[in-house]
Amino acid sequence: MNQLVVVIEIAGRRAALRTAEVQSVVELEAICSVPGAPRFVLGLTALRSNTLTVIDAAAAIGLPPHGLPETGARAVIVDHSGHRYALVVDAIDDVAAALGDPAPVAGDAGFGWDRVSEGLIETDRGPALLISLGALLAGPPLVAA
Amino acid sequence: MDDLLAEFLAETREMLAAVGGELVAWEANPADRARLDAIFRFVHTVKGNCGFFDFPRLEALSHAAEDALAEVRAGRRSASPRLVTAVLAIVDRIGAMIDAIEAGEDLPTRGEDVLIAALEPDSADSADLLAESAGDASGARSTAPNGAQRSIRLPIGLLDSVMSSVSDLVLARNDLSRRMRDAGVDPAVHGPFERLSTILDQVREAVTRMRMQRIEHLFGALPRLVRDLSAELGKQVMIDLEGGDVELDREMIEMIRDPLTHIIRNAIDHGIEPPSQRLAAGKREIGTLHISARQSGNRIMLAIADDGRGIDGMRLVEKAVAAGAISRAEADGLDDTARQALIFEPGISTAAEVTSVSGRGVGMDVVRANIERVGGSIEVNSRPGEGTRIVLSLPLTLSIIPSLTVGAGEQLFAMPRSYVEEIVHGSASHIEFARAGDATLVTVRGKRVACLSLSEQLGFADHLRPEDSTLVLIRLASGDLFALAVDRIFDHEELVIKPLAPAVMATGLYAGSTLLDDGNPVLMLDIAGIARKAQLIGDVQKRARASEEVAEEQVRGTPALLFMGLDGGRKVVRLGAIRRIERVSAAGVDLASDPPRVVIGDSLFPLAGVSDAAALGEQVSVLRLGDGDSEIAYAIDRILDTVELTGEVAAARRTGEAEGTTLVDGLPTEVLDTHWLFACFAAPPRALDPPVCRLPSGDQWAHTILAPLVEAAGYRVVDDSFEGVADVAIATEGGEASPAGGTVITLCSDPERAGQVPGSLYRYDRAGFSAALAALRSGRAA
Repeated sequence: MNQLVVVIEIAGRRAALRTAEVQSVVELEAICSVPGAPRFVLGLTALRSNTLTVIDAAAAIGLPPHGLPETGARAVIVDHSGHRYALVVDAIDDVAAALGDPAPVAGDAGFGWDRVSEGLIETDRGPALLISLGALLAGPPLVAA
Repeated sequence: MDDLLAEFLAETREMLAAVGGELVAWEANPADRARLDAIFRFVHTVKGNCGFFDFPRLEALSHAAEDALAEVRAGRRSASPRLVTAVLAIVDRIGAMIDAIEAGEDLPTRGEDVLIAALEPDSADSADLLAESAGDASGARSTAPNGAQRSIRLPIGLLDSVMSSVSDLVLARNDLSRRMRDAGVDPAVHGPFERLSTILDQVREAVTRMRMQRIEHLFGALPRLVRDLSAELGKQVMIDLEGGDVELDREMIEMIRDPLTHIIRNAIDHGIEPPSQRLAAGKREIGTLHISARQSGNRIMLAIADDGRGIDGMRLVEKAVAAGAISRAEADGLDDTARQALIFEPGISTAAEVTSVSGRGVGMDVVRANIERVGGSIEVNSRPGEGTRIVLSLPLTLSIIPSLTVGAGEQLFAMPRSYVEEIVHGSASHIEFARAGDATLVTVRGKRVACLSLSEQLGFADHLRPEDSTLVLIRLASGDLFALAVDRIFDHEELVIKPLAPAVMATGLYAGSTLLDDGNPVLMLDIAGIARKAQLIGDVQKRARASEEVAEEQVRGTPALLFMGLDGGRKVVRLGAIRRIERVSAAGVDLASDPPRVVIGDSLFPLAGVSDAAALGEQVSVLRLGDGDSEIAYAIDRILDTVELTGEVAAARRTGEAEGTTLVDGLPTEVLDTHWLFACFAAPPRALDPPVCRLPSGDQWAHTILAPLVEAAGYRVVDDSFEGVADVAIATEGGEASPAGGTVITLCSDPERAGQVPGSLYRYDRAGFSAALAALRSGRAA
């Protein structure tokens, strides 16, 4: 597999999203919270007259939440089944070339990561877990929430 | 019907264009089967459509061509060049006729028999004639004016994508406008931006209209449905449709098609009795199904009424108890309305036996669910033995929702205005709170209902005491009433609602989101979802309790609309008289005519309520008042509120526009006298069989100057070529008295002479002439 990925950092781990799934990286404006929504949904925000659902990527995996980002923090904009989301992550590194197909992680990837990851890929910025967007946006199983 | 006709014309024209190429190819190679089939399909479709409309000549033509082509297709005849020419001539003639129909002209000169004869296998000698009449046809086509409005057909997907782009444009415009405000842009930019903004609003309105369709499209299929169903069930049912010109979002029409069909099925299958039973019950043998559509504010009320046996409330209760939906004790506590509402519970039907018509396993519960899904509500009202009336209340459109923005905690939320029954402040003197365990109940106007705090439902930590908040009284689609306590009410807005991500929808608290003008996202509350979470609905027992009245209802007044007249006075008019409220351009108002008139849509209405053109401005709101037969328009400045008329009306001393004055909210308010308005402004309905007045054929004066007066008096004007007996004949002095019939009025040009000859009048004695006509007319009626 010779494709490009966006290397990001979630809860201190290196992860990757396929560039094909990433719309852009933007600075977030004010976030309007959604009372009653699951913890990983931080709220809604407006971007170029679209409404985005802001997702706390760490919380969506089932890890300790990142929490509300400051205004102006950068987020990854992704599209998934007709809706547009802003992913709040620890850091957005760079675009890198994936060197090979995702391989199963040797050993246990750790709590939550198994569910959202398609496997380990090697990039020129080091190994990263390839994120499956659908699984991530579904959020942690209800028992864990 | 006009819409259907336009569609037929557009479709035929489209096919004509497509078939043009096929014709040429067929002419080059008459043996080409594919071409032949295409042309055959064309004439076949035209024939089918003509039968639907009443175009016998068009039908005869296409039928003949179809027959001839069918012979060729069956291999009984070969496609000779002569046949090709004959078919071509017919296709040309169809085109010419379509042009003429569209322009509203008479169909072009006859000669179809020649065209048809040319199709006959042995009509070798008609070739010359054919060439001649074909020339005719093309001549007629080229002279056909293009004045009539043409329509084209568009794929629905394209329309939807335009609509959604326009919605996005509006949002982007709002965003830009906010940024311009924040950044303090060069004033030179503002002018063009304002213009852009105005144009965008116009485009949005036009696109919204594009999506609107007359409800006729839905009604069109009903007579056939009713005919088939009643034939199948051995019943006689007459369908009566009203309000086909009401417009509804196209998508909405699709959404209610199935529920409406189902309700009609039920009405015919279970409601209307077989003829013998009807006769035994002293009813007419033929049952009637009355379906009417009416616009009321931004909702469409669709009523389906039958005069059948009605809903047997007791049997419903029995079934519900048997099905375990309610307990015996609960059943005993239900009133009539609640009993009939059981028809919407799953698995309950009064049908004694399942028939092939309505016993398809889809009950009224599904109907209700479908109607509620589009933001509508359904009510049933039935009198045993007399009939059932089901009323659907539907929003005009799905994508733009009139909303109320409210505050809870620190945040703003929107809720659909259609749910809101009333807004009262918690500290108002006429409401009382009661605590029952953890629940809060509130008594408003003698009704005790549950009171939910929005902050609490949304899980905010601290919330205001209900006494300090504003209560929004909400009527759910099921008719349940409850109060939602919010911290503040902000505004009424029309919001473009977008769907939410699944993770947010899963909360069950929100229906969508939108961006406000300030660019901030706002959540649209799912009121039904909130009520469901708070366990206020879905339970018959609770429902009965919620609507339980704790005190005898106050004397209810007549609902009425409070508005500001153009003369600056506060006025009310009873709500029942109002058919619609419209905004019209002041350019469409003609004050010079008597009565003044206004153009609404494509009709002229008498206009009351305006005396001074200066008061109109560019646009004016008008109330369309209806008395069942005729409609008049009443111009107003603005709507203030809907109120209930409870107090006495102090009658006015003189009859006029106001029947009197009453107190509304402590202020004197004029009550419109609708009787007087209709008496003065509405045109008397035309008699179906007007008396006939004969005018001398050759008399120019009689036909141009006198005829309008005669017609205004309710007569039909004919001339000497009229064969029957005229009720009255007009003779002019010196002219010959008409030979046949009735009374003769002789008109003299000399006033002196008119006095001398009995039965004659001076020809400009308008009053005398009108009186004579009126007297004759009433004499005839007697």
